[in-house]
Amino acid sequence: MSEPADARSDLALMEYADGETGGQPGGQPDGQINEATAAAVVAARLARDPDARVKVAAIKQVGELVRGHLELSADAVHDAKFAAMWRRIDDQLEQPATGLWARVSRWFDRYRGHVITGAVSAGAVAALALILRPSTPDPGIPGRNAAAIDVRPVALRATPEIDSLDTPGGSSTVINLDDEDGHTTVIWLTPADTVEGI
Amino acid sequence: MLGAQRGDRDAFKTLFERYHRRAYALAFGVVRHQDDAMDVVQDAFIKAHKYLDKFEGNASFYTWLYRIVMNLAIDHLRKHRRVKPVELDETRFENDGDDPLLPRILGGNPGRALLDKQIRGRIDQALDELSENHRSVLVMRELEGLSYEDMAQAMSCSKGTIMSRLFHARRNMQKRLLDLIDNPSAELVDDLTGGRVGDADDTPANDEAPSQRTPAARSRP
Repeated sequence: MSEPADARSDLALMEYADGETGGQPGGQPDGQINEATAAAVVAARLARDPDARVKVAAIKQVGELVRGHLELSADAVHDAKFAAMWRRIDDQLEQPATGLWARVSRWFDRYRGHVITGAVSAGAVAALALILRPSTPDPGIPGRNAAAIDVRPVALRATPEIDSLDTPGGSSTVINLDDEDGHTTVIWLTPADTVEGI
Repeated sequence: MLGAQRGDRDAFKTLFERYHRRAYALAFGVVRHQDDAMDVVQDAFIKAHKYLDKFEGNASFYTWLYRIVMNLAIDHLRKHRRVKPVELDETRFENDGDDPLLPRILGGNPGRALLDKQIRGRIDQALDELSENHRSVLVMRELEGLSYEDMAQAMSCSKGTIMSRLFHARRNMQKRLLDLIDNPSAELVDDLTGGRVGDADDTPANDEAPSQRTPAARSRP
């Protein structure tokens, strides 16, 4: 006496026939499948249900027919077609490269990802550096165009000309010095000796 | 394999000669068109050669090759889709979840059945009528013996989806073939019974031991 079956229980038969017993989704609430139990359930069904046995046999038979049919289809293709295929393949195969350049190319091919990642990272750092740099140049640091502006110390530019030097209550001395660093003018003031209250 | 990886073309040609028909059978099973299958196999070998240095030898060369063939075949189907793909079978599974396998098998010997043009024509027709996903799973399983897990990886879907596709692909194949057996031509009856028309042993029966009715059509390579 065969028992009623549905697709779900026949799915278990299929797993059994395919040697995959135990993997039926939803078989256990927690997803853990006891393979031995599942196999035992199917084996018990096969033992008492002749329809189940025929279904397993039918699964295998369909498999044999499909496999046999496709293999016979492949066997029916003439050798000449595959020979022509090989010639086309052979024409398109890349020649094995030799030499330094070929080795470099192969190295690049192999590590292309790393190289590209490194290049992109370096580019990003450079871009950030450009974006984040100060918009006005530091006056203390000569820029590229600083050479066009003469910023030498005053002493190096010209000798100071002193028209008059009024030193009430004292005396003064002007000393001009010339050396390899340029011209220096020293003004020396000396107050007159005075005593308060006298 | 190592010779091919070092650039030895003769070694690669040896690999081609060893596996081209098997690769073709897989491609043909999926794309269902001879010239398209030839294109897929050709592209697969070119691609395999291009990336030989990435083959690490953890699996056999053919295991690696069939993944390339399978990917290219599925890509080919997507690019050259001749009819709008409708996953009728999967939809029906959701709405008709109680449709079980038929408790019947073909009479006679599957190996002998494959000699019959009607049966092979019906297998072709049934494969054509399967959805691309169902057919791909069926071919991977029956031709290559892939596990559910491997097929799930190859098709980027869950193991449950693979089981559903395989179940319905098989059931639909079974229905198609039984339709033919239920209304056989005289020629088909002769082919299936070996000329012993009326021999009760070769008529389909539900309660016969399965092992007596499923001789291997062909040993797996």
